[in-house]
Amino acid sequence: MQSRGYINTLENILNKIHLDNSYENWIHNFSLNLNDIWKEKSASDLIQFIKNKQSDSAIVIGAGPSLIKHNHLELLSKSNYQGTIICTDRILAPALKAGVTPDKFNKFYVITIDTAQIIKNFYKDKIIKKYANRINGIFTTVNHPDTISVARNLGIKIHWVHALIDYDEGKKSFNQMSALMVRAKKPKGLPAIQTGGNVGTSAWFIAWRILKCKIVCLIGIDHSWSENDSWHSMARHCNVPINMNKKSQIFTQLFPRVYNPEFDTICILDPIFQYYSNAFKDFIHRSSSKVKTINATQGGCIFGKAIKCVSFKDFLITYPK
Amino acid sequence: MIFFLITMKTNFKSKSQINHKIKKTPQSKDNFKNLSKQEFEEFVSNTGAAGSFMIFRSKKKIDELGLDNL
Repeated sequence: MQSRGYINTLENILNKIHLDNSYENWIHNFSLNLNDIWKEKSASDLIQFIKNKQSDSAIVIGAGPSLIKHNHLELLSKSNYQGTIICTDRILAPALKAGVTPDKFNKFYVITIDTAQIIKNFYKDKIIKKYANRINGIFTTVNHPDTISVARNLGIKIHWVHALIDYDEGKKSFNQMSALMVRAKKPKGLPAIQTGGNVGTSAWFIAWRILKCKIVCLIGIDHSWSENDSWHSMARHCNVPINMNKKSQIFTQLFPRVYNPEFDTICILDPIFQYYSNAFKDFIHRSSSKVKTINATQGGCIFGKAIKCVSFKDFLITYPK
Repeated sequence: MIFFLITMKTNFKSKSQINHKIKKTPQSKDNFKNLSKQEFEEFVSNTGAAGSFMIFRSKKKIDELGLDNL
């Protein structure tokens, strides 16, 4: 593991980049969403919906390379699992195509966190329309309105949450002011989630904080690259120069190779994956009295304190609902 | 100058860094010592890399795990 100083520095830099680059977009998106937020459901309403069919467990499906490598979607589609399915937006269409559908798994959710307009493309696959009216979508108040509009028009049921950004800065913070605006017509307000910077961590929070699942299983949540992935993909993901000297000290620091002793695998992190995974592991550890986290990704870098690692096949046998 | 650089690199090479190339060896415990904080900050800031969203941190640590109603 990296030193705390290094982790904090990296997190501070990337948080600052987000605030510098995205803050105005978040306010813009929120303004355009506000009328729909007032009219549509809060993610808290899902608690009443699930009351009678609450699951013991949820499976969070990310889009990491392990998902294909280990045929986890096929394994899930052929299983008799009766728990909750939470798809991250990128994997929704591939999951449906693999037979992981709300017809088979009736507690079916999709979540979007990224506020860029391009995210709407994840909802443009034709197969989504076939199942959309049985899918509950969870969106933040700062998601791009076009993304939510595409999902809504397909028939996905929209549920809103706040994404925590600057809540601790007091009454003048965006979180607190936007919450006041929401409460003007929605007196109960909305739940506010820690996104952890990415949709996979957000889905994990949704599973136990909002859907009240006691056990959360992760598949496709690698938060890292495999050894076979190309340098071009890694460089593009975190915007570093393609001709970066791979023998330099900073390269070693930004792209560490990590041995995962739980699955006997090696993965490679980049600055963004370090940012995500360090925080995610911290949150898992701090929430371990409230939720049991099982990583069935069979690779990647999510292992350590309070994280049980098992094969996905074993998870499906041990936790059928 | 070349000699200086090689010497510097050698001085900063920790045992864990050497082992870094060996399969199944955990990553260095303190890679941050390899570079100055300023150099590191500059490099990462200049990339503009960010990911999907930001991580919320608070002095009140419990708030970092989310709020039922806001």
